[in-house]
Amino acid sequence: MKTLSEFEIFYRNELNAVLIDLDARRRRMVKRTFLIITLMCLFVPFSYIIVQILGEGFEDETRIYAFLILSFIGLSAGLIIMTKWARDKTFYSDFKKEIIERIVKFVSPELNYDGKSYVNYDSFRNSRIFMKSADRYRGDDLVHGMLDKTKIWFSEIKAEYETTSTDSDGKTSKKWHTIFKGLFFVADFNKHFNTSTVVLPNRLGKGPLANFFNKINLTRKEKHISLEDPDFNKQFVVYSMDQVEARYILSPALMQRLTSFKQKHKPPMYISFVNSLLYVAIAYKRDLFEPRYLSKIADYQKIKQYFEDIHLAVSIVEELNLNNRIWTKE
Amino acid sequence: MSTSVIVIIAVASFLLLMSIIIYNKLVRLRNESENAFASIDAMSKKRYDLIPNLVASVQKYMEHESGTLKDITEMRSRAASGTLSDDEKVSLDNKISKAMGGIMIAVENYPELKASDNFVQLQRSLNEVEEQLSASRRAYNSAVTNYNNSVQMFPSNIFAGLFGFRQKQLFEISEAERQNVNVKSLFN
Repeated sequence: MKTLSEFEIFYRNELNAVLIDLDARRRRMVKRTFLIITLMCLFVPFSYIIVQILGEGFEDETRIYAFLILSFIGLSAGLIIMTKWARDKTFYSDFKKEIIERIVKFVSPELNYDGKSYVNYDSFRNSRIFMKSADRYRGDDLVHGMLDKTKIWFSEIKAEYETTSTDSDGKTSKKWHTIFKGLFFVADFNKHFNTSTVVLPNRLGKGPLANFFNKINLTRKEKHISLEDPDFNKQFVVYSMDQVEARYILSPALMQRLTSFKQKHKPPMYISFVNSLLYVAIAYKRDLFEPRYLSKIADYQKIKQYFEDIHLAVSIVEELNLNNRIWTKE
Repeated sequence: MSTSVIVIIAVASFLLLMSIIIYNKLVRLRNESENAFASIDAMSKKRYDLIPNLVASVQKYMEHESGTLKDITEMRSRAASGTLSDDEKVSLDNKISKAMGGIMIAVENYPELKASDNFVQLQRSLNEVEEQLSASRRAYNSAVTNYNNSVQMFPSNIFAGLFGFRQKQLFEISEAERQNVNVKSLFN
């Protein structure tokens, strides 16, 4: 596994030059956009003045129409120029290709990157982590490949559902609510199993009251299971269809590994084991693997973040020892 | 009806209701632990089924250990006979674990055997069964802990005493099993 200091060298040797080029393109894009927006803002009072000067003697109504038409033409022209001249159409895809894909390949040459694909909705549903079905499901930045003996794939996804409410005037309004936004990771687990075991963050903590509420779970058919490791129980709640299988998967060693993995990383982590696959959903508020337009991108601290996000997902394989294939599953 | 009669009836029906609830809870917990024990049994049986394979694949090489192989085959048929009590099962199971652990360590002396595909596959199956067995023991221990808690805690301990619910023993991880874990790490 690549370390941060190795990444720093890679950044200086390979990424920096590309980033400086991209940054120049980004600056040009931002400058042109600002220029056009300024001109568009100035055009409105300017067209008013023109209409006042040229339109002397005409009726007020005609002058207002003339002003509106003139402003409309001016603003539309501005928008067209903005998309044709100011927008750099390939900037986004170049950024993904030149930066994100390179970082992915740097983390492991065995991994492939596809900026437009994402972990599909079936995987999201099959994971049984989120019970609510999504009305809108999107994503990008799929990374996939085989790390030693373990097949993995992950991407950024966003799943949302829609609600409609009617107010006292009879007006209906629609609202989108996020079910999950962040990194969704799937790996081939090293043991065979047929049922589902879900490991969720323990939001309620310890004690009889927390236990009582953790036990009640109306939305899922899996039953609450309390495992032996107190540190693990402090961090996670486990629901499973099969007592024995849950313990077969969550061996004392894996519980320790999960606990220490959780302690190293702040964001909430949802884990499940379904039909010999491991699913890990890591929730993020920010967008992942996206370029920033309004600030400098040739900045080590920012690029480091992309590396760390990819590294975190890939490190699951090592942290949970998934390449340890000593059971019948190859 | 005087107030005192009403109070007595109320208290009596409350006590009756309580005892029904607690009794049912104790029965449920006892059944859960028995069920968990049955799953250990099922896993043990799975392991016993691997013994003939193990013996068949190692006996060609391991002539010095033929005594151990014979013992383990004999123990296996005794375990499969189905006439043993729970305690006997546990102690026989421990003996088998120890004997199997011994064989696995002895395999280290036969590099040819250790490298054979057949044996590697068998070892993977054994690891899997061991891990499942340990999972079912942990499930059993957790079910028994729940049951024992109810038997010992107030007020259910009163009813447990009345109805004859006794504490159950937890499965202890034996020394032989700890050795099995070492064998697993040797395999890496």
